[in-house]
Amino acid sequence: MSSKKLLMTFPVTATSHQLADYRARGGYATLEKVLRTMQPADVTKEVAASGVQGRGGAAFPAGRKWGVINLADGQPHYLCANADEGEPGTFKDRWILENAPHLLVESMLIAAYALEVRHAFVYIRGEFDLPYRRLAGAIEEARAAGYLGAPLFGGAFSCELVAHRGAGSYVCGEASGLLTSLEGKRGYPRNRPPRLTVKGLYRRPTVVNNVETLANLVNILRDGAAAFKSHGTPKNPGTRLISISGHIAKPGVYEIEIGYPWRTFLEEDCGGMMNDANLKCVIPGGISTKVLTASEIASLTLDSESVESAGSSMGSGGMIAIAEGTCMVRLLQVMLRFYHHESCGQCTPCREGMGWLHRIIDRIVDGQGRKEDLDQMLRISRMNDGTTICGMGDAAGYATVGILAKYRDEFDYWIEHKRSRYDGNLECRPST
Amino acid sequence: MPTIYVDGREIQADKGDTVLQAALAAGCDLPYFCYHPALSIAGSCRVCVVQVEGRSWVEIACNMPVTEGLRVLTDSDLVREHRAAMLELTLLNHPVDCGICDKAGECTLQDYHYEYHGKASVSLEPKVRATKQFPLSSRIVLDNERCILCSRCVRFTREISKSNGLGIQERGDQSLVRASEDGAFEHDPYSDNVVDLCPVGALLPRAFVHRSRVWYLKATPSVCPGCARGCTVQIWHRKPEWAFKALDPAKNTRIERVTPLANPGVNGPWICNKGRDLANIFERARALQPMLRGQPATLDGAVFAAHVLIASAKRPLALVSSWGSNEELAAFAATLGTGMPSFVKADWLPMPGEVVEDEILIRADKNPNTAGALARFPAWDGQFGDADVVVVWGEGVAASRIPDSAAVVRFGSYADADAASAHVFIPISVQTERAGHYTNFEGTVSAFERCFDTRANVADAEALFPLLAESTKATA
Repeated sequence: MSSKKLLMTFPVTATSHQLADYRARGGYATLEKVLRTMQPADVTKEVAASGVQGRGGAAFPAGRKWGVINLADGQPHYLCANADEGEPGTFKDRWILENAPHLLVESMLIAAYALEVRHAFVYIRGEFDLPYRRLAGAIEEARAAGYLGAPLFGGAFSCELVAHRGAGSYVCGEASGLLTSLEGKRGYPRNRPPRLTVKGLYRRPTVVNNVETLANLVNILRDGAAAFKSHGTPKNPGTRLISISGHIAKPGVYEIEIGYPWRTFLEEDCGGMMNDANLKCVIPGGISTKVLTASEIASLTLDSESVESAGSSMGSGGMIAIAEGTCMVRLLQVMLRFYHHESCGQCTPCREGMGWLHRIIDRIVDGQGRKEDLDQMLRISRMNDGTTICGMGDAAGYATVGILAKYRDEFDYWIEHKRSRYDGNLECRPST
Repeated sequence: MPTIYVDGREIQADKGDTVLQAALAAGCDLPYFCYHPALSIAGSCRVCVVQVEGRSWVEIACNMPVTEGLRVLTDSDLVREHRAAMLELTLLNHPVDCGICDKAGECTLQDYHYEYHGKASVSLEPKVRATKQFPLSSRIVLDNERCILCSRCVRFTREISKSNGLGIQERGDQSLVRASEDGAFEHDPYSDNVVDLCPVGALLPRAFVHRSRVWYLKATPSVCPGCARGCTVQIWHRKPEWAFKALDPAKNTRIERVTPLANPGVNGPWICNKGRDLANIFERARALQPMLRGQPATLDGAVFAAHVLIASAKRPLALVSSWGSNEELAAFAATLGTGMPSFVKADWLPMPGEVVEDEILIRADKNPNTAGALARFPAWDGQFGDADVVVVWGEGVAASRIPDSAAVVRFGSYADADAASAHVFIPISVQTERAGHYTNFEGTVSAFERCFDTRANVADAEALFPLLAESTKATA
């Protein structure tokens, strides 16, 4: 537990999410410092210098995204925090929204100042009840305290912040689908070009950042980019919130310094596997990232380069630990049911491919599988690779290919014997 | 003017074009479903894939801006593989019921399948079932199983007709095109255009369902007479070589359907619903019998009687049809028109419930050639004065309006009480039985061609007027 923390730095109490407690922790001082001493372009420079990468899953450097915004183009710009945390296994933004909503508000005001934004939005997942109430409360408190909708610290800058609740669609967590939904339309993702930083919300330059990415801004600007870069790895600085679930002894949200050894994280921080089961594999960051076996992660550290070297990615930080004895056929069935259910239906490969994959795996589980079905599933995954409007088709393909590549023998077993190899093998209930 | 290279061929593209637009303009053959030149880019069908030279992946051409020197391949192995894959996926839940589908023969999905894929489905899974023959409006039925969700119809109601009458419900492979609950689609006067936009047989006009196979039909270019816009249309009717010999011969001379004839200068690719229903105009009960005061006469006899009446007139008055073609109007001006005061009347006025005028196509003047007629004759003020003989060409002047003191010579096409009460009635042909030109309100002249033969005992106005004038001269 030697990991340095930047976000989970305070004890969670009944009032720790409120403005008074946040101010007592030094809240809104960074905003004042930035607004009084820095120019907007300097803030962007500082963020770019920090090298902070997007925490939503794509790991795109935030500074580069911001750099596309031309402050002198005479257009309104928009900022939107992506709080539509829908990737299965991921619940780390929820911790920020529940326990440090003011950190998000302050960070968004800093980002709004840097990007000349007058209207910022938080698109929050509709299923998030407590997080929404906490965020709405924080916005109210901030407005009452004069941080929102009024000129700040004697300057001309003011910004309005609106929290918008989604209606429960996975695809609306994709940045362009999110903006389309925010505009009040059907949440279909959009084709690129144009990029959202050129034509986003209401066809204006828009920055969409993950909640955790934004939450890091206060740290970066309070202590400077150099201090932020001293954490994590040189290419992938800072800390990450990891939400871990599955057959793990202590599931929950953990903050780790990027580059933290994976095994240490699982065995020491998370208390090892439930009931001392053996680890079979890990889904690193949401089910859209390729699964890694226990032996593959043995020498890996929790940073983008290390995980990508093993052919997967850190994704959204939604880690799922899977114990020995878990049936991967059923696991894939659950995943594909999810993708089929959540496909928005806009573009052909995903609309038809997801249903096709789901129906094939259902048939295999029903005992009607054929040997060639597995190749057919790989072929459908390939049809979706890079051909869809958003990344969902690819993601489902990665999940399928990842599991089929490593656990094909389990599928062959099911097809041949019409049942799981692991029926009754998994005993992972928590000990009472 | 950026230069791009499609399969090595040099193409001059317009700045701001997409690769698909530039390639289609240069005559390249690229398949597409969701793209339409008049609608926004959806980029959802993913069939128009191309490969930029040197890249190992494909991209859609409809959303790829042209850049100077861009080199794309439309027929590489990778493109062919992906195109076939997209067609395979498009067809996955499509019922492939071409045998009973009215779109068969003019269906893009059918064409592309044979051209770019051509294999049977490898899927064992049951197809997704959805509603069939769903009443989208009183005019249009929707087969959701055939629908490939290209969203052209939805975009049409948003961007062109602006009724916002259609949308998509549900998601994924359960998505359904549906009409909005406020009934906007039912009242959209342009709703039938979505049928032409539909690349498959999902949207079909009720009036055409199971009416005819398209390959038995011939499309004759024509002009819609419904208003002064003069939209160019195609009138579809049975091909003469496929004429029914045993069944009702009327099937050979009926209008099966009307579709727009794309004409950027007048109507673009659209027409309104009234233009689809030309059969309601031309297939009313026809007048096929020349009559003298309601009594049957021969055509020659009626022509002679008309000429005697006109020649003996002291104060004749002629009311010219705004449905006459430019050729007929010129014939009238050169013959009968020289001998008597002639005025242009409005044959048709807006009907109750009809859209009078809008900002898209529909004009308040419900006659096709008012402009052409007014170029030759003054407008009629509605007065008969002390005329002793009134010549009425076409519709719009009921017998009851004409003073009893005046004798009436009528040239008309439809059987009604006015025809029977005229002193002389000569039946004339309708637009589908002759060729000619109309001048629309903007002065654009459009041609219509003959669909059917002229009926027996029915005169062509253009030939009739000189005949009457000849007789006039002979007697004078």
